[in-house]
Amino acid sequence: VFNREVYLDNKDLEEPLWELEMGLLESDLALSVSEAIVESVKNQLTGTTKRIGSNTGEIVEVALKKAILDVVSANTFDFDEYVKNREKPVHIVFVGINGTGKTTSISKITNRLLKSGYSVVLAAGDTFRAGAIDQLGIHASRLGVKMIKHQAGADPAAVIYDAVQYAKAHKIDFVLSDTAGRMHTNMNLMAQMEKICRVSSPDLIIFVDEAVAGNDAVERAAQFNEAVPIDGSILTKIDADAKGGSAISIAYITGKPILFFGVGQGYEDLKKFDPEWFVDQLFNQ
Amino acid sequence: MVMEKLGDSLQGALKKLIGAGRIDERTVNEVVKDIQRALLQADVNVKLVMGMSQRIKERAMKEEPPAGMNPREHVIRIVYQELMEIIGKGAEIQLKPQTIMMVGLQGSGKTTSAAKLARYFQRKGLKAGVVAADTFRPGAYHQLKTLAEKLNVGFYGEEGNPDAVEITNHGLKALEKYDIKIVDTAGRHALEADLIEEMEQIHAVAKPDHKFMVLDAGIGQQASQQAHAFNDSVGITGVIITKLDGTAKGGGALSAVSETKAPIAFIGVGETPEDFEKFEADRFISRLLGMGDLKSLMEKA
Ligand SMILES: Nc1nc2c(ncn2[C@@H]2O[C@H](COP(=O)(O)OP(=O)(O)OP(=O)(O)O)[C@@H](O)[C@H]2O)c(=O)[nH]1
Ligand SMILES: Nc1nc2c(ncn2[C@@H]2O[C@H](COP(=O)(O)OP(=O)(O)OP(=O)(O)O)[C@@H](O)[C@H]2O)c(=O)[nH]1
Ligand SMILES: [Mg+2]
Ligand SMILES: [Mg+2]
Repeated sequence: VFNREVYLDNKDLEEPLWELEMGLLESDLALSVSEAIVESVKNQLTGTTKRIGSNTGEIVEVALKKAILDVVSANTFDFDEYVKNREKPVHIVFVGINGTGKTTSISKITNRLLKSGYSVVLAAGDTFRAGAIDQLGIHASRLGVKMIKHQAGADPAAVIYDAVQYAKAHKIDFVLSDTAGRMHTNMNLMAQMEKICRVSSPDLIIFVDEAVAGNDAVERAAQFNEAVPIDGSILTKIDADAKGGSAISIAYITGKPILFFGVGQGYEDLKKFDPEWFVDQLFNQ
Repeated sequence: MVMEKLGDSLQGALKKLIGAGRIDERTVNEVVKDIQRALLQADVNVKLVMGMSQRIKERAMKEEPPAGMNPREHVIRIVYQELMEIIGKGAEIQLKPQTIMMVGLQGSGKTTSAAKLARYFQRKGLKAGVVAADTFRPGAYHQLKTLAEKLNVGFYGEEGNPDAVEITNHGLKALEKYDIKIVDTAGRHALEADLIEEMEQIHAVAKPDHKFMVLDAGIGQQASQQAHAFNDSVGITGVIITKLDGTAKGGGALSAVSETKAPIAFIGVGETPEDFEKFEADRFISRLLGMGDLKSLMEKA
């Protein structure tokens, strides 16, 4: 039996790992995260044995898939179960950099909650961007829910406070709070976000980023998570033929679950994140 | 699971060359590998990076360094030249009457950049107006109208009309007396066939002089593919990179330029209408590579 097995060394592993890594980079997994994961797979496999004639490439792929699955299924939590058991009203704040899909994701989550028989009120907490209140307002009226708003330029924390009070007074199950997009490099806006989250102490803070994002996903997820910290993420625009490797980057750097994928611009275009499905489509290219 | 933050990897790598008196293959390979890392980390297209690093390797070994240039500077110079080859000098923006159409992926910054552009031309003494031809995204009309009113530039829109082509037609007539007419369109991606067709129809009606593709600095490997599709549909004549006030390096935009051969015209560095700059290739390359003052080094040669 002995001579039917050979040891795997660094050199055997390098080539197949490199090929797989290039594939992952093309799927928008950040380089730094990909290197860390590949390194751990290399360490794990080096010195193990394989049967003569078996394919090293396959062994490597299986191990890498497993390592990525571990990253994206760390701390998974079931959104639907969570909101069902949580004391009402449940308050959820959505945060992220500019234009990733926060407002649209709020409308999709609203739709999902309404379908489960819950009631929802929206807070127009983006008082900064031109047209932001109108945008959320149109979603609110299409979905038939109330939106609490103040004037453009008003204090977002005050709007959100009012929405939570409204929900308590009217026995509404959910408050979904929109916030302005902000760059993680903008100290004032990051401080404002911390204040919003401190004052309104939400049940969940959800970070919204887009699947088409590349390496920067790591930096901004880290900064937002450090500032508030976040409870989970939504990755939008996966329908743009994005493989969504950035989901791995974000899960890796925050250690928090990916909750949903945005798969289009309609209210139904929200897909519950499924780690197994995700890893399979990532490797089937 | 916090990871060690990666510094300016390239800068570190190139330091390895400082001491080296002459260029040997091992050192060049090592440095090229680090250049690859820097470019991949900046979101430059993977295939583009592989092709480019091969060329850099060959040139570094083959070409004689200019007199007075150490090996490190020699390699940087080649990297710089290769990037310059792709980026070119940036677009010439002519200060004359013209129609501009904004296109790009969802949320990339088209509407904001339309307002910034109007502001740019207004400051140069031209009369600028915008047309709200995004009938898809809720609130798009209000967003552009609010921005236009704040800037005191022309605005045309039809709230509630779902026909973007018709609005474009009406809008360009209504703004006939304006020097600069900027048509904002809905965000879309290559797989949204209906929306791509709508864009082509708007294009046919507007007959724009310029088609600016607006790209988020943070976009990853999708940039090439998307730019390719937009270019096939309407022909991109310029690129605007937004959100460079964050930490994204903009390598996706570089890949789009390589794909379309359209020059970069402007960059967005914030949310207000003033946060808009003419593109400068030197500064962009410095940022991409994570190192300062490349220009003076190039002048030394
Ligand atoms: N294709 C696609 N488009 C999406 C998705 N999610 C959001 N969008 C679009 O992306 C654009 C930006 O979405 P918003 O919801 O306004 O993004 P935001 O994060 O609220 O933006 P700011 O408030 O300006 O920071 C809109 O055109 C949305 O329709 C998605 O999953 N797929
Ligand atoms: N920080 C920063 N934010 C920007 C910049 N350019 C645009 N934004 C923000 O990015 C978000 C999206 O910008 P929009 O102009 O609405 O993008 P769009 O491409 O018109 O979006 P759709 O019409 O939904 O496709 C907004 O929050 C803008 O304020 C920039 O250069 N820097
Ligand atoms: Mg929003
Ligand atoms: Mg827009």
